[in-house]
Amino acid sequence: MDVEPILKVTNLTKNFGNLVAVNRASFKVNRGEIVGLIGPNGAGKTTLFNAISGLYRPEEGTIFFKGMNITNWLPHRICRLGMSRTFQVTRAFTHMTVEDTVRVGAYNRFNENNVQDKVEQVIKVCDLVDIRKRVCEDLGLASLRKVELARALATEPEMLLLDEAGAGLNATELAAFMDLIKKLNQESQITFCVVEHVMQMVMGLCQQIVVLDSGEIIASGTPNQISNNVRVIEAYLGKRAVHARNQ
Amino acid sequence: MKFKNLFNPRNIFILIGIGIALAIPLIFNTSQYVMLLMTTVLLYAILASAWNIIGGMAGQLDLAAAAYLGLGAFTTGTLLIRWNITPWVGMFLGGLVATALAMLIGFPLFGFKVKELWYALSSSALVVVMQSLFMMWNEVGGPTEKYLPTGTSPWYSLRFNNYLPYYYIMLVILVVVLLVNHWIRYSKLGYSLLALGEDEDAVEVLGVNSQSSKLKALAIYAFICGVVGGIFASIYGYIHPAFFDTSMSMEITILGIVGGMGFIYGPAMAAIVMVSFREFLRASLGSQLAGLYLAVYAIILILVALYQPRGIAALVELGMKKAKTYFVELTRGRRADIKSN
Repeated sequence: MDVEPILKVTNLTKNFGNLVAVNRASFKVNRGEIVGLIGPNGAGKTTLFNAISGLYRPEEGTIFFKGMNITNWLPHRICRLGMSRTFQVTRAFTHMTVEDTVRVGAYNRFNENNVQDKVEQVIKVCDLVDIRKRVCEDLGLASLRKVELARALATEPEMLLLDEAGAGLNATELAAFMDLIKKLNQESQITFCVVEHVMQMVMGLCQQIVVLDSGEIIASGTPNQISNNVRVIEAYLGKRAVHARNQ
Repeated sequence: MKFKNLFNPRNIFILIGIGIALAIPLIFNTSQYVMLLMTTVLLYAILASAWNIIGGMAGQLDLAAAAYLGLGAFTTGTLLIRWNITPWVGMFLGGLVATALAMLIGFPLFGFKVKELWYALSSSALVVVMQSLFMMWNEVGGPTEKYLPTGTSPWYSLRFNNYLPYYYIMLVILVVVLLVNHWIRYSKLGYSLLALGEDEDAVEVLGVNSQSSKLKALAIYAFICGVVGGIFASIYGYIHPAFFDTSMSMEITILGIVGGMGFIYGPAMAAIVMVSFREFLRASLGSQLAGLYLAVYAIILILVALYQPRGIAALVELGMKKAKTYFVELTRGRRADIKSN
């Protein structure tokens, strides 16, 4: 018997007018895994994330999270059930301090009496102690990415969707960020689904990879399987690359 | 623990301000004109502080303050005229009626995430709609003023022959509204609203129900406007559909923005400075060129928008921060001098 996956997406379709952004996508994420969602620009990765987290209403298909059908749920209910996310373009609360930003998330499961403890804990885990009193608009990209992760983490999620959390980070920052995700995955048993362009991060982190192209899922498997998959190479580098490889 | 930030050293200034406000009428032998002026300043300070909850914190550019104020005035006035119910009860009922209307309007607007310009237009339409409605509804409103009876006791019918009691009532309400502001700002609702004002989607995925948070903010705001409306009717001694005044709504919004969106004391501060200044200009310039005071008013607005878009409160905050670092450096420098000696 298979273990029940924490997230199960079946035949998900999302249109914008005539454009089919996601076309009958189906995939599963098992509890405790780090799954990578990759694909060329415009493949529909962020749209898929938006549909799963409740910001978009899909035209078709179902989303099951922890065995519950969460299709068409509002985002805040999905978060209360245990799923939160970050955004591709950082969407910080510009005029709020780091501490206050984390507090917004922490109120999801905590009340006035114990919210401060959660804030302290998350600030420590995400290494934000030095900048806790700083206002978000004064922060650099690397810090903002950490703040976004921290505020999502403060909601005590069982699953986190990270939308290009590594984009724009330099090698040192990226390594630190990957370590943090690994640590959260192992110590707090948080399941991750990450959209990522930085291949170093995908290959280094993920146990499973799902590849999306033009709104359709064209492959899924372990990093090794994916890097040798003909359709994936075709999608990224074109048909000639496949031809050259076979010669 | 919600009031833990209340006893901050900088709030001494607020206490001093309240003390001065309490003492002014007692120390100076102020004329009735000045008393009415100061009461008006307090009225605007209350409304702008209430607006801070929905506009400053939640970022919804509400332009319907006068709709809720007028509704409170008409509820209070009608109850007194028809059934001789004291305004002390009437104003709270007026607040509830205003809240009920606000919920009716807010539920669909926030459900569909109407924001920015579109919310401003929808809410400002409410004022005009209410005015037309009460103009036609002869039993309650109508084109002629309906006067409030003086009754037997001035305290029962809230009809005094001078402005002093109104001034103190307004002062009490202002303090209460500032406390409410403070309580909200440092509670779950306040953090949610402030974040909502920045990015709604990003807050929703953190487990915040945006619709219900904004409805709570709107309800509190409308209730305060309705209550103040009841006193407004008592001060003027009549009710008339002109109370649904679009330019007044606009001015309250402007005060909220100039004061500093989301800063607890900013809007009240802006009201005290700007409304007194406006009245001073009207009195001194009005005789030479009617409406000139509005031009000066506009120039101040443009200057604030250009140089300090976050408002007067942000400016004060910045000034305090600079002063603090200056003094820290000063004492540090002195210590270094002592060491080197």
